Amino acid sequence: MPAIRERYDALVIGGGIAGMQAALDLSEQGYEVLLVERDPSIGGVMVGLNKVFPTLDCSSCICTPRMAEAAHHPRIQLRTWSEVKRVEPDGDGFRVEVLRKPRYVDEDKCLGCDECELVCPIDVPHEFDHGLGARRAVYVPHANAIPHKAVVDLEHCVYCGKCEKACPTDAFDFAQQPVVDTTRVGAVVVSTGLEITPMDRKQEYGGGRLPNVLSPLAMERLQSSNGPYGRVLRPSDGRIPRTIAYVQCAGSRDRSIGVPYCSRVCCMYALKQALLLRHSIHDVEVTLYCMDIRAFGKGYEQFYRRAVREGVRVVKGKVARIREADGHDLVLRVERIDADGRLEEHRYDLVVLAQGLVPAWHADGVVDIEEAEDGFVRTPEAKLNPSFTTMEGVFVAGVASGPKDIPDAIVEAGEAAMAAANHLERVRWRAGSLRAPEDESEEGVDVEADLAGAGTGGDGPASGGRWA
Amino acid sequence: MTTAPVAAKPRGALAALRESRGGVSAEMKAWLKDQQDVRKRLRAALAGGPRTVPDMAGECGLEAGRVLWHLMAMRRYGEIAEAGERDRYLLYALKKG
Repeated sequence: MPAIRERYDALVIGGGIAGMQAALDLSEQGYEVLLVERDPSIGGVMVGLNKVFPTLDCSSCICTPRMAEAAHHPRIQLRTWSEVKRVEPDGDGFRVEVLRKPRYVDEDKCLGCDECELVCPIDVPHEFDHGLGARRAVYVPHANAIPHKAVVDLEHCVYCGKCEKACPTDAFDFAQQPVVDTTRVGAVVVSTGLEITPMDRKQEYGGGRLPNVLSPLAMERLQSSNGPYGRVLRPSDGRIPRTIAYVQCAGSRDRSIGVPYCSRVCCMYALKQALLLRHSIHDVEVTLYCMDIRAFGKGYEQFYRRAVREGVRVVKGKVARIREADGHDLVLRVERIDADGRLEEHRYDLVVLAQGLVPAWHADGVVDIEEAEDGFVRTPEAKLNPSFTTMEGVFVAGVASGPKDIPDAIVEAGEAAMAAANHLERVRWRAGSLRAPEDESEEGVDVEADLAGAGTGGDGPASGGRWA
Repeated sequence: MTTAPVAAKPRGALAALRESRGGVSAEMKAWLKDQQDVRKRLRAALAGGPRTVPDMAGECGLEAGRVLWHLMAMRRYGEIAEAGERDRYLLYALKKG
């Protein structure tokens, strides 16, 4: 693994779809990028999804080429299993500290062959499958992981040494220690992504307590071809479900749990999952209980109509509580909005709580940017410069600034990359002699000269910004 | 700039790491013992032919959700495979060889 260099043009924090896009857009303009990911693989939430709405394209088929491109780009240095500990203004740029956690595996030697995983005696719940499946105490993160390298989970290790003996390349290195690297960058893009609302936040729904009450991300894994069961089964007993309910706004639009905002994507991912369930289980009945359907994007309303046409039942009603009946079945108590507030109870095999989106990371103590009241990164110029934060030179992309779907996260990441590039040219930051000679584009435009000109004032893009 | 370079790989590093962390935790010892016990019971049940999760839960005296989780771990690492379907439950069987 190459050592951290003394200077980069930009630091991108978070290697999900937005971070990868921002890193790729910057590097394609000739900038040197350090991309830091806290998990052992890049790909973020998207690589764990089954399909995307409204096209029903395979999510990992879209995500993995970006992952490979970001990991192998000559102007992107990737650090996985690493965390940015501090970003501090320093002259025209920033001084950055990055913690590299020990994998106990030499990434340069590891082939990702799984031999260590096959001999490890310990099975533990796999985070990637939201606990529904198992992994070993030494494991390659998942089938599409990049880098495709093993990592040792020391908390669950019994130090038997079988992995070390099985390794064909002698890649294990149990002497590895946490390492803090320091570097300097000219701009920062925060793309730290999302978590879903904690499952136990709304106690009356039984999330995290009742085995057949699932999170939407767990359902994504169940529906994935390489998911934990290979198909959709009830976690309580392995039965193929016949009745499934979706509880909309289970983790959003609810002041009682501190998430008053709409998370934007829940209606669409629930409709997508419901439609795919109708396709995969021939006799399944799927009902969505919602206050309303917010199908806000291109082709989304048509997708909603298609789901209804293909048998997904959408009921305007607010679920008050979920209780467990015998056999781990679930009884939903519903107030029907479309029937004068009538109270009804219905029994289901499986329930999915359409949880909302909350930030996966907080800047506190790491970088001195402000957060808004909802915990997402504050964007003071949300309409005209949506990637601007409260600190010059620090930009934000993707769900780190607020809930959004994949297309919007990608578009915004492109905007963040452009804003970061403008900033780099304005402060005339150079990472050093790192520009490749092929900086000239195919059309023969001298990108270097073009970028240099942008920061000189006049009508260049850098002059129109907030800090011009 | 690296502030704490990775040391050259010494021999006996695993033993030293184990010692520095106070050995295997009591929790992990119990975890491994339980895992081995459950797997032994599941293998014994499956030796009698393909079974569903409720079949095995009944035979082994285990909660069905635990049976499913362990079966899926065994499936992932190549020990068992699906062997049909009965009354909305899949049948699982030990793989030969």
